[in-house]
Amino acid sequence: NEVTEEVLVRDVLYACQGIDGKYVKFDSNLDGYALSDSVKVPRGTRIIVRKLCELGWLFRKVKGYISESMDRFPAEDVGTVGQAFCAALQDELSEYYKLLAVLEAQSMNPIPLVSENASSGNYLSLRRLSVWFAEPMVKMRLMAVLVDKCKVLRGGAMAGAIHLHAQHGDPLVHDFMRRLLRRVCSPLFEMVRSWVLEGELEDIFAEFFIVGQPVKAESLWREGYRLHAGMLPSFISQSLAQRILRTGKSINFLRVCCDDRGWADATTESAAAAGTTTRRGGLGYGETDALESLVMEAAKRIDKHLLDVIYKRYKFKEHCLAIKRYLLLGQGDFVQYLMDIVGPELSEPANTISSFKLAGLLESAIRSSNAQYDDPDILDRLRVKMMPHGTGDRGWDVFSLEYDARVPLDTVFTESVMTRYLRIFNFLWKLRRVEHALIGAWKTMKPNCITSHAFTKLQRAVKLQLLSTLRRCQVLWDEMNHFVTNLQYYIMFEVLEVSWSNFSNEMEVAKDLDDLLAAHEKYLHSIVEKSLLGERSQTLYKSLFVLFDLILRFRSNADRLYEGIYELQARTVESSVNSRENKSRRQAKDKSSESGSWVNEGRKALTQRASEFLQNMGQDLDALASEYKSLLEGFLAQLPVQQHIDLKFLLFRLDFTEFYSRQHPTV
Amino acid sequence: GIKGTSRIAADAKGFSPDSFSSGLENPIGCYDAAVQELIVIDDLLFALVGIEGRYISIKKVHGKDDAVTFQVDASMDLALQELAKRMFSLCESFLLIDHFVESRSQFKNGLVNHAFAAALRALLLDYQAMVAQLEHQFRLGRLSIQGLWFYCQPMMGSMQALASVIQKASANNYTGSAVLNLLQSQAKAMAGDSAVRSLLEKITQSASNAYLSILERWIYEGAIDDPYGEFFIAENKSLQKDSLTQDYDAKYWRQRYSLKEDIPSFLANIAGIILTTGKYLNVMRECGHNVQVPVSENSKLMTLGSNHHYLECVKAAYEFASGELLSLIKEKYDLIGKLRSIKHYLLLDQGDFLVHFMDIAREELLKKHDEISVEKLQSLLDLALRTTAAAADPCHEDLTCCVERTSILKGLSTLKDVNIRDVSDSNDLEEPISITGLETFSLSYKVLEPNWHVMHGRLQTAKSIDEVIQYHDFFLDKCLRECLLLLPELLKKVEKLKSLCLQYAAATQWLISSSIDIPKLEEESDSSLGSKKSKQGRSRNPYQAQKVITKNSAVTDSILKFEREFNAELQSLRPILSSSAQAEPYLTHLAQWILGVGNDQ
Repeated sequence: NEVTEEVLVRDVLYACQGIDGKYVKFDSNLDGYALSDSVKVPRGTRIIVRKLCELGWLFRKVKGYISESMDRFPAEDVGTVGQAFCAALQDELSEYYKLLAVLEAQSMNPIPLVSENASSGNYLSLRRLSVWFAEPMVKMRLMAVLVDKCKVLRGGAMAGAIHLHAQHGDPLVHDFMRRLLRRVCSPLFEMVRSWVLEGELEDIFAEFFIVGQPVKAESLWREGYRLHAGMLPSFISQSLAQRILRTGKSINFLRVCCDDRGWADATTESAAAAGTTTRRGGLGYGETDALESLVMEAAKRIDKHLLDVIYKRYKFKEHCLAIKRYLLLGQGDFVQYLMDIVGPELSEPANTISSFKLAGLLESAIRSSNAQYDDPDILDRLRVKMMPHGTGDRGWDVFSLEYDARVPLDTVFTESVMTRYLRIFNFLWKLRRVEHALIGAWKTMKPNCITSHAFTKLQRAVKLQLLSTLRRCQVLWDEMNHFVTNLQYYIMFEVLEVSWSNFSNEMEVAKDLDDLLAAHEKYLHSIVEKSLLGERSQTLYKSLFVLFDLILRFRSNADRLYEGIYELQARTVESSVNSRENKSRRQAKDKSSESGSWVNEGRKALTQRASEFLQNMGQDLDALASEYKSLLEGFLAQLPVQQHIDLKFLLFRLDFTEFYSRQHPTV
Repeated sequence: GIKGTSRIAADAKGFSPDSFSSGLENPIGCYDAAVQELIVIDDLLFALVGIEGRYISIKKVHGKDDAVTFQVDASMDLALQELAKRMFSLCESFLLIDHFVESRSQFKNGLVNHAFAAALRALLLDYQAMVAQLEHQFRLGRLSIQGLWFYCQPMMGSMQALASVIQKASANNYTGSAVLNLLQSQAKAMAGDSAVRSLLEKITQSASNAYLSILERWIYEGAIDDPYGEFFIAENKSLQKDSLTQDYDAKYWRQRYSLKEDIPSFLANIAGIILTTGKYLNVMRECGHNVQVPVSENSKLMTLGSNHHYLECVKAAYEFASGELLSLIKEKYDLIGKLRSIKHYLLLDQGDFLVHFMDIAREELLKKHDEISVEKLQSLLDLALRTTAAAADPCHEDLTCCVERTSILKGLSTLKDVNIRDVSDSNDLEEPISITGLETFSLSYKVLEPNWHVMHGRLQTAKSIDEVIQYHDFFLDKCLRECLLLLPELLKKVEKLKSLCLQYAAATQWLISSSIDIPKLEEESDSSLGSKKSKQGRSRNPYQAQKVITKNSAVTDSILKFEREFNAELQSLRPILSSSAQAEPYLTHLAQWILGVGNDQ
């Protein structure tokens, strides 16, 4: 059972390649290579053999992983990153084999003995071997750790895990890991490159940190691609990943939705600018700066190109403006005309209204306002939309305008966005209608419409009654008009124009489509919130609508009042003409006592009726006024508790003279 | 046994190999002394790399976890025992260091420990190579135990020194800068032993390389890449830039990055500069300006030697960063223009805007402070801004107003630092409109203008943002001081004078309106109102003509009373002014102005 050191050295060398030697064998109880117990060697030798054979144990582990992965290669769960990892490990192992071969050759030389007295070149003793093994041991340990960690990982996650192990202060480890990572990450970087420069998702094994899914063109931008956080290696920052995602997405968006070819030039240019060629393998791990600059350059150009296409070819800004002008009622003459001509139609029950007729009316409103000079493409997209109606709905409740944003602009103007626009439209339309009604009322109420001399014949009491009723009506009208005018001022200028101006500024500085979407979202949100359409202003909105209804009711009341007055006026004129005729007739024929009495009686009845009528109307008006007052107070009281500072300005404007707050100190 | 060795023994001393190798359990004492020496050398060669031999064994020290001692077989030749024992300290050092290297290479221990361990490993590799050489000598039969002892000498000192350093490091579980500090202080402590010292310095150098690369990224890019939290600057990621709008006391600026406690001693003096350098770079990046310190060969932070190259690098980086930031602030964000408009609004140097605002906002400001509507004030302020010369100022839209809930006077007594971005419109209206022409003149021409010019001149030449801040602070402080705002005693007096003026104004107004039914000479009395200090004679004239003598005399009396009070107050100002003038020479000017006028009467 005697063994020479040469034999042991050779056995150790075998063991370090995972091969059982004559004396050094793998012991599954110890989970390691060891000298068999039957061999008699000094304790020191036994220990050093065990120590040296740790390398063999590590090697087995690494080798086992490689061959296991190799066997599964075509299968999906290894992936290209896994393959690259295996290949890199394999290369490291070849280095190791080379060392072992050299050592093997040295081990052939006999260990010199005192007696032989001849130094026989290079030879290997166990102690020398331990010096040789110091560095491979460090590397092999590292590889074994990596193999352990990466067993269940793949793709970007694997690269990330390996990257975490590169955070080591030992220069040897650091360099080794960098070399390894360059290899491991090359498939990932290649994916990034082709994604950023070509918009191609070359990811058969689902290893990339961007995943795509088939969607319709309009939701391509929002839902087509997303980041897969698990596959995002930590050396690529979140913001860089977002930028990478957006760049490729932009290319795809241009290709699919905008039918654009110009992006290819942009990418070639950006690759040239970033200093890397567009060919494969141009990037690698550790060149995060290079990657970043490539992505930046590409993103900058692609984003700019995309925005150019959106702005110039698809006229985004013009469409936004058109929506503002038509859907948000910014084009005054058009709105006025439309209101004038569809008004009567809309008073009909909803189910009797033909949308074709409304479309025709819209057409004629366009033709007869300044809208006719607008781009036909824009006018073409403007439609009438009838909303689903219930029983008892009037045309007013279901009428709305619609704007057809097509691909690619439907990425911005999605269905939900358009629904919000419609809500704003309905609100503004209602406001306009109320304003329209008040103006209509004014037309009938104009002081010169009523010729006061017609009533000179009336009794003084009735005349006073008439005047006071008229005055009450005027005051109420004024109050309502004040409210509506200021509300409208607030909506049109403080809300719409300010939001639009902010939006325009943001459009100017938007660097990519996401910015643009965000800016548009902000614009819409601010309009919705400030126009009381938001969640939090629901009660305010409801009370506003009650107010509107009240104003509409006031209008019909006022109309009735004035109709009555006109009738009265007509009757009075008639009766005075009658009486004059009668008088002349009486003078002429002198047989008109009965007709005179009729006239006298008629005048009395007329006075009676007028007084009654005026009293009724006066009561109605009073009721309306008090209801209006309480509603308005309720509305004003709710204003200060709103979130938006702008609403406080509305209050301040409505109550500029402190009329309301003086009436009610609590407001 | 290793056959080679035993053969040597056999050949040289006539022992049979069998008896040698099978005699494992034999006590060593049964061998001849020469054989014993061979065996001991072989064992020692194992022990030197931390492996137990036939007759040398490793025992754990009782009570300590990682401490071990080597022991020899007691039957060994006593001389050999002594010689062997002398070597044990080296063996123990090796074991200690080896263990340390193994444990500190683990990821969790941080970059500095990794680098330290790597440097040690390189050293150990040299040491092992030496042992292998000794083994070669031994195999050639040229090594005696005395020779072994001799050859080990050079390593002895260094290994021991390292072992003691390691003991300290592992006892306290040092990481990061603590390790660097320990290494440096040890290198200094070992100054006498030049070999050990240079070894420790070399190791310090390699250990600090990892640290310096973190530092490099910070001062050149403003980024912290510190996976194990070793760097002396901490980043508080919970503070977001978005919170800046509500963050008046610049919490983001102060707390986002902060110094930790353990700063490596070689950086302790410039830690503040390093912190600000990175912060400057960071600020610029957050503002969307990608600034990169130009990299040159010299800028690599490599040497820790006595030439203090790294200090120069840090300084250069700092100068670059602060220069960049300054030009950014000056050019893109128009610092001077902003300051000028602050001067317009807060230091009230643009008259028409203020007067207009006073006029239109008077009613609102007269209300009690909790009734004032900030929105209304704001819109009035906007109105005032847009209708006056202030509209030409590009920054005028930045001006907002807020209502302070305490009086300005009270505020000033505690305020040493002026919040520059907010206009504070006080609820007590008296403050602004009661400033007499005299005082306004004094304030704006004597104090504000010269100081403004001094600051403006300095800002043009300022090289770094810190200088700018310093000059600005200086300006503010000087203005506060020279505007008497830091002398509470004086301030109270001035306040009293102002309220007197105000009472006077109110009283005259009341008198005018009460005598409105007196038909004649209204205009004259009106014009006398215009002047702040109405002279006795003038006020008496219009009224003497009137028949309402009682009323007239009452008027005269009350006006005289006002004058007396005013003069008394003014006179009482003199001692205060003259006493403070000794400390603050600029007050003599003021005294001359005010009291000179007062003496005219």
